[in-house]
Amino acid sequence: MSTQSIVIVTDSTADIPKDIREKLGIEMVPLSVHFGDDSYLDNVTLSPAQFYEKLPEAKELPKTSMPSPGDYYEIFKRHVDEGRQVISINLSSALSGTHQSAVLAQSMLEGEGDVTVIDSKSASYGYGLLVVEAAEMARSGASKEDILARIEELRSKTGLYFLVETLEYLHKGGRIGRASALFGTLLNIKPILTIDDEGYVNSIDKARGQKRAYARIVELLEADFANVPVDMAAVTTPGRTEMADELIAILKEKFQIRKYTHSDIGPVIGTHAGPGTIGIFLIPSKEQ
Amino acid sequence: MVLVGAERLARHQDRVNELNVFPVPDGDTGTNMNMTMTAGAAELRNRPSDEVGRAAEVLAKGLLMGARGNSGVILSQLFRGFSRAVAGQQELTVPTFAAALQQGVDTAYKSVGKPIEGTILTVAREAAKHGLAISRRTAELAEWMEEVLDKAQETLERTPDMLPVLKQVGVVDSGGQGLVYIYEGFRDYLASHTGAGYGLAPNEPAAGKLSSDSYSSNRPAAAPNMRHLAQSRIETESIEFPYDMEFFIRRDVAKAGPFPEDAFRKTLEKDGDSIILIDEGDIVKVHVHSRRPGDVFNAAIVHGELTEMRILNMRDQHRDLLHADEDAGKPYGSELGLEAASGLPAADSREGQGLEEGRETPPNPDAYEMAPFGIVAVSVGQGNEELLRSLGVDAVISGGQSMNPSTEDFMKAIGGLSVEHVFLLPNNSNVLLAAKQAAELADRPVTVIPSTSIPQGMAALLAYREEDSANANEERMIKALDKVTTGQLTRAVRDTQMNGLDIRDGQYIGILNKDIIAAEDGVVEAARLLLEKMLTSGDELVMILTGEDADPECTGALVAWLDENYPDAEVEVHEGGQPLYPYWFMVEQV
Repeated sequence: MSTQSIVIVTDSTADIPKDIREKLGIEMVPLSVHFGDDSYLDNVTLSPAQFYEKLPEAKELPKTSMPSPGDYYEIFKRHVDEGRQVISINLSSALSGTHQSAVLAQSMLEGEGDVTVIDSKSASYGYGLLVVEAAEMARSGASKEDILARIEELRSKTGLYFLVETLEYLHKGGRIGRASALFGTLLNIKPILTIDDEGYVNSIDKARGQKRAYARIVELLEADFANVPVDMAAVTTPGRTEMADELIAILKEKFQIRKYTHSDIGPVIGTHAGPGTIGIFLIPSKEQ
Repeated sequence: MVLVGAERLARHQDRVNELNVFPVPDGDTGTNMNMTMTAGAAELRNRPSDEVGRAAEVLAKGLLMGARGNSGVILSQLFRGFSRAVAGQQELTVPTFAAALQQGVDTAYKSVGKPIEGTILTVAREAAKHGLAISRRTAELAEWMEEVLDKAQETLERTPDMLPVLKQVGVVDSGGQGLVYIYEGFRDYLASHTGAGYGLAPNEPAAGKLSSDSYSSNRPAAAPNMRHLAQSRIETESIEFPYDMEFFIRRDVAKAGPFPEDAFRKTLEKDGDSIILIDEGDIVKVHVHSRRPGDVFNAAIVHGELTEMRILNMRDQHRDLLHADEDAGKPYGSELGLEAASGLPAADSREGQGLEEGRETPPNPDAYEMAPFGIVAVSVGQGNEELLRSLGVDAVISGGQSMNPSTEDFMKAIGGLSVEHVFLLPNNSNVLLAAKQAAELADRPVTVIPSTSIPQGMAALLAYREEDSANANEERMIKALDKVTTGQLTRAVRDTQMNGLDIRDGQYIGILNKDIIAAEDGVVEAARLLLEKMLTSGDELVMILTGEDADPECTGALVAWLDENYPDAEVEVHEGGQPLYPYWFMVEQV
């Protein structure tokens, strides 16, 4: 590790499992979740499993907050002092001020070191995939320019869909408008969500019932990934993977998956998406 | 002094949370600011210093490390600038304090991408500006702080005039309120420590001296009396319902009976919010924010004579604000040339994104134009109407098999919408012609989607996307019609023979598309035969719309039968409320 000259920094909402982070030397800056006066560090002092246990018992929805510029500064500074280049890939700035904290931290270095801060314009493993790929490239000695170019390329090629049980959580957290949240609430309508080029959560289609939603997601992904070798990641709510397993099985059958990663939806993303959320992410595999 | 400020903020954290509607109405500004300030105060306690410069540096560091949320980050930047200005100073004097506040504001403005006026930034800036202006004539620190605080409070009360979302919800800016609390703490500390040599860190936090509510009683109106409303009315953040309506319904209770408050509220809720109904017997006061004031009056006039009607267009108020902004150049604090000096884009509430978390876009100018599309649908039964509205239908015309709406009915519905282009869903083949005729006569483009049943209409609505063009929508919606099959269950009204079936008067008949395919004495039996024809793969979605004559026991039996024979199907039952047809079925393939 010490020979590596580039370090990848991300925040906890990339939902990258701890073992992968540790293996690849990815630095993670946690956001925070607050149940009343009790504060926890996302994916650090509160695991996804613990979060979903606590959630039903909470009197009101937990609140989340971004890391401070200081949190980023400390990590940037440490690596800069140790002579590394830093690439920080963060949660969509349209959804959180986390990226802004990283930008401020970079400015606090006042020109010292080589720190690149990237707005992923994505959430959860949607950019977790980019972070992992960047970290793998860094380990194999790729240059900063190559890594940045690959991230840029992947960002526009990521297939990303979310299914939520209800839009209520997204609406309450201010991440989706009221009209969208109310749409079809009387019928069993499943909005298929994606994150657009600007990094905002958008409903791309609606389907009636779970199965038609799955079929629609397959159809949407087929447009871009039919016959293309892909890396796939899926995130789910711990303890509630039955439905997701069905979808993942269908996807595994339909697409040429080179690498598959499963991860739990962490507390912060879970606060805003609600329990039962499924996220599916595809990127074209690196050329072998 | 800082510790007292931090403590005052902590005590009022919940109130600041209550006010939090911008940029994201998630009610956590108080929590975030308090956590930020607490981190700063803790650092100061750990590393106290008698020198103001040193103490400010320690505080700024603590704030920066602890900064949470947008307001917290801005707060940390205010003190970052502050600490730079007092670096190396031993004591805090009026001129230093004033310069430090100003430098804090400069730093904070630079750190924010697009500063939004009507927030903590504005409060800080106006207070600092005033502080500088009076620093020459006010040498006494406590007195000076009192004036700065007054200016901050005054600016805070003006925030609703600068940021429309605040006005709409009727609150002052939460972050600005948090800052005022901190300044109040400063004031209290300074007032109780008159004399030379102020430090930023007192030896004890002087909590006993603060009576927590002493100020709220002498504060003028704006904040306190509105604060409880902010959270409950938080949904209104984006001026979705622009017409602020207030009026009275005069009623003759003896004749008409009690006012059906719940039903009327429900009617208003379909297309409005901020509903307040006060039933005084002979007079009912109505307050609502609506998209269609005409609909509200029409719904109300049924209950009595209307009086003292007042309608305000809240978007207009906002527009006036914007115009005032353009006319006057930069009205807020431009003398200091802050924006120009720091190369920041001019503060412009239309930009609306800035540091905010989430997509709570304040109304953009486009929203004032007519909406591009409106949807008119024919329906029968209250439940069906509600379902259609939940799918985006703007106007519902009552009508169906036995009471076909006229071309004029369509014309009226079309005319009632302020939209550029109308989609018509006749939802019945008998209504199609009248709809087409209305489309030809209408004063604007109208596209008829030839849906022949309400379930078909619902399928079309699912395919509709507001952001697409009219042609693209037409194509999508028409295509969607074929994705579903509709089955109808009703009773025969005479003996007849059809499709090889002997049908007797009064028997239940199942109709698939146009054909009678089942005739049975029992409703459940007829329904089963119909569903057996409709379900082919077995994993379809089945929607049952129950009519007003549906027997819950029969419905239960049907659902149980479906569960047993089609375990892979997804079944949902809704109360449609249509007459004559106990059941409508919709089946959608995967």
